[in-house]
Amino acid sequence: MTTRRQFLERVAGSAAALFAGAGVSAQTPAQRGMIHDTMVMKDTTNLFAMDQNAARSVRLPPKPNAVPVLSDDERDDLEHRIHCQCGCTLDVFTCRTTDFTCQVSPAMHADIVELVRGGYGAQEIIDAFVNTYGQRALMAPKKSGFNLLAWITPGIGVIVAGSILAMLLRRMGRRAASHAPQSRPVALDVDATPDELARLEAAVRGDDDA
Amino acid sequence: MTVIIGELSLWVALLMAAWSMTASFAGARLRRDELVESGVRGLYATFAMVLLASIGLWTALLTKDFSIEYVASKISSTMPSVYIFTAFWSGQAGSLLFWALILSMYATIAIATSRKSNRELIPYATGTLAAILVFFIATDAFKANPFARLDFTPLDGNGMNPQLQNPGMAIHPPNLYLGYVATAIPFAFAIAALFTRRLDAEWLSVVRRWTLLSWFFLTVGIMLGMWWAYVELGWGGYWAWDPVENASFLPWLTNTAFLHSIMIQEKRGMLRKWNVVLVVVSFLLSIFGTFITRSGVIESVHSFSQSPVGTWFAFFFFLSTGVTIYLVATRLPNLEAKAELESMVSREAAFLYNNLLLCGIAFAVLWGTVFPIISEWVKNEKITVGPPFFNTVNVPLGLLLLALTGVGPLIAWRRASVSNLKRQFASPAIAGLVVGVVLFALGMRNGYVLVAYTLCGFVAGTIVQEFYKGMRARQAIHEESLITAFIHLVGRNRRRYGGYIVHAGIVMLFAAFAGMAFKKESDITIRTGESYQTKDPYGHTWKFVSQGVSTSDRRDRSVKAATLDAFRDGRRVGLITAEKRQYKDAMGNDLFNEITEIGLKSRPRQDVYVVLTQVPDANTAEMRITFNPLVMWVWTSGFLMMIGGLIVMWPQAERRRPQAGYAAVMPAHGAVTAASEMPVGV
Repeated sequence: MTTRRQFLERVAGSAAALFAGAGVSAQTPAQRGMIHDTMVMKDTTNLFAMDQNAARSVRLPPKPNAVPVLSDDERDDLEHRIHCQCGCTLDVFTCRTTDFTCQVSPAMHADIVELVRGGYGAQEIIDAFVNTYGQRALMAPKKSGFNLLAWITPGIGVIVAGSILAMLLRRMGRRAASHAPQSRPVALDVDATPDELARLEAAVRGDDDA
Repeated sequence: MTVIIGELSLWVALLMAAWSMTASFAGARLRRDELVESGVRGLYATFAMVLLASIGLWTALLTKDFSIEYVASKISSTMPSVYIFTAFWSGQAGSLLFWALILSMYATIAIATSRKSNRELIPYATGTLAAILVFFIATDAFKANPFARLDFTPLDGNGMNPQLQNPGMAIHPPNLYLGYVATAIPFAFAIAALFTRRLDAEWLSVVRRWTLLSWFFLTVGIMLGMWWAYVELGWGGYWAWDPVENASFLPWLTNTAFLHSIMIQEKRGMLRKWNVVLVVVSFLLSIFGTFITRSGVIESVHSFSQSPVGTWFAFFFFLSTGVTIYLVATRLPNLEAKAELESMVSREAAFLYNNLLLCGIAFAVLWGTVFPIISEWVKNEKITVGPPFFNTVNVPLGLLLLALTGVGPLIAWRRASVSNLKRQFASPAIAGLVVGVVLFALGMRNGYVLVAYTLCGFVAGTIVQEFYKGMRARQAIHEESLITAFIHLVGRNRRRYGGYIVHAGIVMLFAAFAGMAFKKESDITIRTGESYQTKDPYGHTWKFVSQGVSTSDRRDRSVKAATLDAFRDGRRVGLITAEKRQYKDAMGNDLFNEITEIGLKSRPRQDVYVVLTQVPDANTAEMRITFNPLVMWVWTSGFLMMIGGLIVMWPQAERRRPQAGYAAVMPAHGAVTAASEMPVGV
């Protein structure tokens, strides 16, 4: 499986090649053949390719006189926060209880069970998984350091866009108010109730939408 | 022979599309009608050639020509015919051809039906559509040719993953493609309008029609995908914020934003820049979605593995973005609004807030989807951005959007008065509060869920009020029965009331989402004759008695099945059987991994969802039992949105519609306010 970094490098390389006038024709017949060969074997479905060997051991020595501090339900909740490493996008609990026949999530589950038996709490277990697998062991990035950007950017984006919108609306409202007399030439001195006026307005407008 | 004709047709289609693009742009620049005409005919010919190529591939599939690599890798001799037919779009090469087929068909229809009404735009729209076709056909022909042959002919093919052999999966991808591809037509007309600087109302009707079509098919496609994931994958949910799910959601969001903001342009001549941007962004997001599906750049359960087309898509995406930015930037003066927004409390403003939220959600989803790439590039660190992120960020925005779904249609155009607000919102607000208070009194304490149901009550109140007022008015004026009044009301105001039906679907969907907060699951190990007792989220006691584990061999699979007899509060509900299946080829060899067939009892209040996880011995089953509240409401909401969408799209005799500038002769505010409260068209 091509890694993201390899892919990004390939994109950059290909773009450079295209600008240099090389492009697709630069691909050798051998390379083209290779692509076709791999397609026969790999491109059988658009479901992901599972990496059954992705599990690593996450074990710590039991604490002295260890007793579990997490109930089974709390352990399951914890498993919802840890990302299965088989290549799916599911958490350990969901993956191990679905039909992907994944061997990674049961192994990760076994590690979690051992750590719970060893007296470790939820955060300690999460830290142990992060130490072994890195941040990708989490279902969502930590709210600290660079990854804090992931969490705050959408909110900042909406607030900034909302502020700009509010500013524009206020400015437009002021401009419209200054032109108001010209935009209201019709007097209301007609013998009609508001309902009748409304019906007339709707009929004139031929309005049929929201 | 048909296959050879098919392959040749693909290359001829590429030449035709290239000619159509060249002739159309050249004809437009040189003002030569014969070139423009030739370009249009080139587009029609492209469709014919792509159709021929598609027939060639279908022929190869249906005749099981395993000498063709694509056929050998997608089907096997034991597969049902229907899935052999749908194998056309089940892989990279075929789906790209399918994309080209839909696009060339759409392009032909769009150009043929708009030639008279949009004469100035046609050459550029044709050229743009042909350019997109060149890209797709070239990608297919050079990088993922569905007609590539093997050096040998295998006895049987690999077959299709059994999880994909599902009616939902047979029609879910085509619907998504129909939705994705339809964004190309508004994009082409937007590009044409930008090129010609004819940015008034004339391009809007075409664009709106095709955006609606795109929205409709994306809605159906997304819903079918959710249903397939729910019944087939066995993880008990229907939406996992997978990058590919997100990719389909993004253009749906921007399409929805456009379908609201276009009303402001139609009525008031405002938001002209914004609407162009939304049209363009919807298309670019469709391309982006295809890019991330096929490049492997983002980890997804859907990724086409070892895909060589990602680079091409990246290049096309950046090229389209660059051209569009240049065109919009150089045409800004032509996109000035023709009217000013007068108040922050008006329907125009409400639609703007709606656009802000829809685009805010789209941005949050896009950001979460691409953040792993950013993180890896900046910090060389792989991270996962999963459901906890998307739920945390999107739930508050979604709830605000739900509130606006109720506010937008009721508030007056131009400027709402206090009396307007009181009259329009009193009953719905009371309805919402009653729902909230009752649920709180019943013991519901989850803050988000309470807010969600209160808002659902409010929005449902606004919809009911609108229908009630409209029907009463018709009854008073035309002396019609209630049902006749309802039919005429909807029939004569399809956009408005079809839209309300879509909104009703949205309310139902939010209610269903909120219901999943009470999902309850248990993992059990149960032996034959044993029972397991638990309570569901409503407090009812359920008892499941194991009827045992059975094994059987079929022609194409071996099956292990565990059956539970279910009782609710002592009353028998029925048998629930969950299976594990191992599919086999004609020689009896295992195909793919073992898969699960869920056991399901579906009721409006909740689903009982059973998964057989393991069979440790002949008498023991390990199972997961999940109570999923209100899942049926999700599928019902999909039907409602579909019906509402069809009503909105259904052709209606066009009435002369005053364009922007109408507001300048509107009477005083009192009358305007009253008008907006009036059920129109009665």
